[in-house]
Amino acid sequence: MKFSWKPFILTLLVVLIVFPFAYMVLLSMASEWRFPDVLPNYFGLRNWTQIFSSETGLISSFVLSIVISLSVAFTSTLSGFLISRSVSYHPRKRLFTLLTYFPYILAPVVFAACLSYFFLMTGLFGSATGVIVAQFMIAFPYALIFFSSFWNERIRQYEELTATLGGNRRQTFLKVLLPLAKGMLLICFFQTFLISWFEYGLTSIIGVGKVQTLTIKVFLFIKEANFYYGALSCCLLIFPPVLLLYINKRYVFNKLI
Amino acid sequence: MLFFVLIGVVPFCAAFIYALLYSFGMVGVLNTGFTLAFWKSVFASGEVLGSFGYSAVVAAISVLLSVSIAMWVALKFTRELNKRFLSFIIYLPLAIPGIVAAFFTFQLFSKAGFFSRIAYSFGWITKVRFFPDLVNDQLSIGIMLTFITVVMPFFVLLFLNVYKNERVEELSKLAFSLGANSSQVTWKVTIPIILRKTWTLIALYFIFLLGAYEVPLILGQESPQMLSVLIIRELNQYDLSKISEGYVVAVIYTIVVSLAAIALFSRKKMTLNEI
Repeated sequence: MKFSWKPFILTLLVVLIVFPFAYMVLLSMASEWRFPDVLPNYFGLRNWTQIFSSETGLISSFVLSIVISLSVAFTSTLSGFLISRSVSYHPRKRLFTLLTYFPYILAPVVFAACLSYFFLMTGLFGSATGVIVAQFMIAFPYALIFFSSFWNERIRQYEELTATLGGNRRQTFLKVLLPLAKGMLLICFFQTFLISWFEYGLTSIIGVGKVQTLTIKVFLFIKEANFYYGALSCCLLIFPPVLLLYINKRYVFNKLI
Repeated sequence: MLFFVLIGVVPFCAAFIYALLYSFGMVGVLNTGFTLAFWKSVFASGEVLGSFGYSAVVAAISVLLSVSIAMWVALKFTRELNKRFLSFIIYLPLAIPGIVAAFFTFQLFSKAGFFSRIAYSFGWITKVRFFPDLVNDQLSIGIMLTFITVVMPFFVLLFLNVYKNERVEELSKLAFSLGANSSQVTWKVTIPIILRKTWTLIALYFIFLLGAYEVPLILGQESPQMLSVLIIRELNQYDLSKISEGYVVAVIYTIVVSLAAIALFSRKKMTLNEI
């Protein structure tokens, strides 16, 4: 029988993928783990119970991150969907699409640093609203580019058919376009949520340390060399997207195909 | 269209114009009027060019290795990765942001990290300092390793998708039936088709890594620094007279990236799959 090395490589691949998640959970439940110990002296739920009682602020950071990410995802998906229609049907579509790429391709932290003066002038500097607005500015181009492929000739024909049959613009939007775009809207919402959820550089510049999202917390704990709380923040940061990925894969992608 | 211009175009233009004016000394604290002094100073120091070169090399090596490994994994395990369990598992790395990946690399590869402890327990090293520098190191191994672990899974998914959508399997069978051997099918059919469909996105990832911030901030060294880290360091200096030089670097970076965007997207229409 011919020897196959594929199962070994695949097992290694699965271990490599799962290892970061397992290690973060292990580190978040560890304490007194000093060099050269390979395993921690304490392993339990002490760190996890402390986040509810102590002043680490992790729960408030978690809630704040969810509020900011949901706001950014909702506004950018909706506005991206609506505005991409005008851009896609415009005679100068290619120029406008090209313009959309500039903020999308630029490093968010540099974009934020150059925009910080305007946030300072408008009183949005160091506030959650400011962070939402700034993150919206990088999530919106993504949504716009994402939906540009939706507005094709087939969709246009559907719109014309609805108008011919007596439907007004509101009915066309609610009863034809929205149902057709449901899957894409969900994927875009998920992606823009992640753009906001993972954002660090831009949030640190516009939030100036006052808006402490989970990514900011992770960095603060790393700077303090508090690796156990750092890992705990990492767990809070990575497990909601895992859940979203599962939902997306199970209920959205499969239904789209 | 007004909303598009207000949300999509105005912020970028405002940011660029402000940075440009600041770099020429026309706005900003302590600046008195138009001057080329900051631009001359930046080019005279050579740090920007060094940072550009360093960032480009790190980004290029990371993208090259990520694409190569991802291509190998996607082509060798096409069938296995489409099975139920693995098809979900391969999506998991997408849930790890750069800052967590950097923290994880630091925890594993630092002097007192997990691998150092294992090396100590096996007797391979007798003191912490004997463990090789793998984070905050001169060769940027930690940064590249993190970039690869973040970017490579995405490319695996992308290549699998293109493999299916472009019907590469059918084309490979056709090539085999016409007399091509396995190596010819891989190098002259499969890989060219996948790369032709994805090169825009590969270039886009190179640009993203060029401007990466969190990973080099945690795992990088003092000098040379990657572009975004250098720009933010210059802009956050206590010496206010140096801020303009930070904006010079920001303007140069913005121009380079914008030209890259024009080169990549002015002629070709991006497809949904590529995004």
